[in-house]
Amino acid sequence: MRRCKIQIMLPVLAGLTLLSACGQNDETAPVSEAASVKLANGMTVKEQIEARQGQLKKIGKAFKAISDQLKAGSPDLAQIQAAAAVVPKEAAGMTDWFPEGTGPESGVKTEALPIIWESKADFNDKVADMQDAAAKLDTIAQGGDVAAIGMAFKTTGGTCKACHDKYREDD
Amino acid sequence: MTIEPARILVWDAAIRLVHWLMVILVPLLWWTAEEGYLDWHRSFGLTMFGLVLFRLIWGLIGTWTARFAPMARRIGSLKSYVGKLRNREHGASFGHSPLAVLSVFTLLLALTTQVTTGLFSVDVDGLESGPLAVLVSFETGRQFADVHEFNFNLLASLIGLHITAIAIYQFVLKEKLVRPMITGRRSRADFSGGQLPENKVRLLPMIVAAVLSLICIIAISNFG
Repeated sequence: MRRCKIQIMLPVLAGLTLLSACGQNDETAPVSEAASVKLANGMTVKEQIEARQGQLKKIGKAFKAISDQLKAGSPDLAQIQAAAAVVPKEAAGMTDWFPEGTGPESGVKTEALPIIWESKADFNDKVADMQDAAAKLDTIAQGGDVAAIGMAFKTTGGTCKACHDKYREDD
Repeated sequence: MTIEPARILVWDAAIRLVHWLMVILVPLLWWTAEEGYLDWHRSFGLTMFGLVLFRLIWGLIGTWTARFAPMARRIGSLKSYVGKLRNREHGASFGHSPLAVLSVFTLLLALTTQVTTGLFSVDVDGLESGPLAVLVSFETGRQFADVHEFNFNLLASLIGLHITAIAIYQFVLKEKLVRPMITGRRSRADFSGGQLPENKVRLLPMIVAAVLSLICIIAISNFG
């Protein structure tokens, strides 16, 4: 009998916390018509948003592979080189991933902030910075100097952050 | 006949040190995460891991008021304790009250979840990660980070509840619980009844707990 009380209390406590967390972001908005609008490149808005998220995840994955090796006592150069080659490849054409209408106003879940389309020139500059840094990282990685790779990796990461701090929703 | 000392040890130095270091570290960990100082976050987080681990070991081999087994046995009298609390007939508890046992167990569970998920967490860009994240994939590391974030809210709520409870004891029930958590001692006269459990600090278990925790955090920080 007494034990039952505790077993009830814990989930209740957890449930209450969950509820209070849910109340903060109301996600009841239905997928809007805007999501299925066809873009000039033939994709729908929803497809475009999901495609760029997929690409960015591939880049994140490659960065983790590099970061894992750099943290290791004896980094595996082959893995770093493979991952470093992935980044410029997957990041190519990034400025085209953000056509007008693919912001949060579409109703599709995205962390891309509307300010991207208000300052597209700066946004594109920042993307280009990242692409340049990633290309350099790739070249340096193929050279095999771990210390230099570490520096280039930091620089590239910095260019990611420069854009994300301004144009991506805080998580 | 032995003469009972006027003030007796309730919370040993290890419990108090761990408790107050956690009080300092939790806000620091929150702040460093919010501001993106991930190097500091990792160092503080690993320190926190060591403290939690020490406390868990101390819960097995520490002083009587630190040990989990006697605490768990007290849960059985939770109902009668809450009843007495309502009528303000509760006496002072030597160590954790049945209600405090619940608080400590849930807090420790939340803290353990927090420090372990942190070890494997990966940030959304794949640039920052916990010291053991190399063992998991990017996707799994992201899931750890999601739990890490969600569980922090749970932990913060539990801490809020804990502080509220202490405030209620202090101001409504007029039972001062903060001072003993600083000095470690309380007047023997506060506790009714006959003999209290022996609550002596032993050096060997203390060294074992400290060394084990230290070895673990050194191993983790040098992992890879």
